[in-house]
Amino acid sequence: MELNLKGKRAIIPASTKGILRRVVDQLIDEGCDVALCSRSDDTVARTLRELSGGRGNAIGRACDVTDKEDYEAWIEEMVEQMGGVDIFIPGVSAGGGADSERSWWKSFEVDVLSTVRGCEVVIPHMRESGGGAITFITTTASVETFGGPQAYNAMKGSLLVYAKQLSQDVGKDNIRVNCVSPGPIYFEGGSWQMLKDTMAKWFAKIERDHPTGRLGTPEEVSNCIVFLSSPAASWVSGTNLMVDGGFTKRVQF
Amino acid sequence: MERIRKNKISRSDPKKVPHGTPLDKTPDLNLGTNIIPKERYTSSEFMEKEWDAIWSKVWLLGCREDQIPEHGDFICTNIGRESVLLVRQENGQIKAFHNVCMHRGNRLADEGLWNATSFVCGYHGWEYDSDGTFVDIPDLETFPQGKPPCNGLAELPCGTWASFVWFSLNTEVESLEEYLGELVGHFEPYHFERMAMTRWVTAEWNCNWKAGVDAFAEAYHTSITHPQLLWYQEDFDVQIDLYDRHSRYLIPFGLLSPRVESVGEIPPPLKHLLTSAGMDPASYEGPINGIREAVQQYKRTTQEEQGKDFSDLHDEQLTDDYNYLVFPNVTTNMHSDDLMLFRHRPHPIDPNKMLFDIWMFELIPEGEEWPELPRHDFRPEGSTRSLGLVIDQDASNLASVQAGMQSAGYPGLWLSDQELRLRHFHKTISDYVGE
Repeated sequence: MELNLKGKRAIIPASTKGILRRVVDQLIDEGCDVALCSRSDDTVARTLRELSGGRGNAIGRACDVTDKEDYEAWIEEMVEQMGGVDIFIPGVSAGGGADSERSWWKSFEVDVLSTVRGCEVVIPHMRESGGGAITFITTTASVETFGGPQAYNAMKGSLLVYAKQLSQDVGKDNIRVNCVSPGPIYFEGGSWQMLKDTMAKWFAKIERDHPTGRLGTPEEVSNCIVFLSSPAASWVSGTNLMVDGGFTKRVQF
Repeated sequence: MERIRKNKISRSDPKKVPHGTPLDKTPDLNLGTNIIPKERYTSSEFMEKEWDAIWSKVWLLGCREDQIPEHGDFICTNIGRESVLLVRQENGQIKAFHNVCMHRGNRLADEGLWNATSFVCGYHGWEYDSDGTFVDIPDLETFPQGKPPCNGLAELPCGTWASFVWFSLNTEVESLEEYLGELVGHFEPYHFERMAMTRWVTAEWNCNWKAGVDAFAEAYHTSITHPQLLWYQEDFDVQIDLYDRHSRYLIPFGLLSPRVESVGEIPPPLKHLLTSAGMDPASYEGPINGIREAVQQYKRTTQEEQGKDFSDLHDEQLTDDYNYLVFPNVTTNMHSDDLMLFRHRPHPIDPNKMLFDIWMFELIPEGEEWPELPRHDFRPEGSTRSLGLVIDQDASNLASVQAGMQSAGYPGLWLSDQELRLRHFHKTISDYVGE
């Protein structure tokens, strides 16, 4: 199967590690140009060094996605430098936790508002160039009870609603909007490594709850994100793809 | 596990609290690199030497002063083959006695916390006053030699320090202050008398008492035995201080170990640190490794409204773990708001067994009601009830270590500089037993 990604221009905020970093790697391998950011200059510089010499080009700078002005300026800069944008993959998150009301504000600001702001900046550019693909990174915790009631689950859930309704609105412009909902994904330096150490019993239970007895890998999720973001998925829009190795137990009609 | 960075760890300025716990790093002694023979842990012969040269000579921890507040309150505590009574006197002082009736050698009390106006032997009814003197010897006229000339129970040296009661089996022992040496002044700034005892557990463990001490005197095992602590504390850059016979190390809490990378969210143990200080983790905007100092500052600035007085403590003591070994068998994890104290007692006859005592204390804010004293919770060998995650993790190593030490393939302990306190512990033991 040909993904037809060569020459596409992708913007992927907060993508220097984990799942999104694998997405960056794969898009570069497919010949895309990729714009990335992280909060730290050093991390961005290191990532760009690691990516240099690939099939596609990587660009980026440090940016705080919760700073509206800085974030919107970063996207505009990236669009300008790449000469347009075809793919937008917002997946930044404040993470889990139910510490106080502040958890809700943070989740709203980081997970929801940055995604909405990003879409509002990229969509006019996509429209202009005749189309594009937007893929949100959501979570299985939005569709099944997980880890207690908390902002992360609810705010990611609101992105499912937003994505679906956005897909209806921009479909006429040949812009597709989809969600990928990973279950627990393990990698060194990721939250689930920390949870394996700090909540060992719970971690073991989560492992057992997977039909295969293991957590997913970043590649297993990035494969799906790359596919949905590619022209090969041209007839898929407004959907939410569960990528969880069968972890969730609900029936998806 | 590999170390991926060196943590920047702020240390307190000793001039800010000049009367506080001394912070100075002691010079590292050259204690050599010899193997510590495993027989020290496994042989009955060495155990006997320890009894003669250490247990029957040094000062030992008995109880807390506030466990026996009223006249006649007493603690009966065993140490090896001996058993001791620590008794509150009418004049408020505390006296220590051998727990043995001078008639036929019966023990007068079982281990635990009790109250009695007098001690009456359960065999023939010999009765002793709370000050140890004879009250009644039934049918005294049938003893042609009269009553024993000792006039009552055999008294032992007894003293108090830092809210605790200490005793010695050695009637010729140096003063408690002399024995504690450099440690005098180290504990006082914590004001343990403001902390309430909340837990009192004794567990029978299948290991030598020194293996118990060892498990709490080095941080080298943290990353493998307690991986959860890597998300809470430094485990490599710890200050080790060696005193005459005691030692300590200072472990920074409230930051990530240099062996793990930040995952971009606050790990649950650090969240717990923030919430127990009264802070909201969701409102904390700084870097993960800034939590230690943020908590110190927060505790310092809110101490008054929280009803706590930390004025004698250095900033780093508001987060860090000051971990002492009071030779031979008391290890402490001292924090501004709590104290976890462990007493490692030898078995009466078996070098492969020990009694592990857990004493927990919590700072009670000014004006708040104190909880009732905890009851003694005894966990016999084979008990599967949890003692808490960290201690369970240590305990599971120790039985296996003691079993492994019996192997013909194992000569003894091969120690690193991270385990310098263990080497110093054995040097002190050598000084006492003379080998």
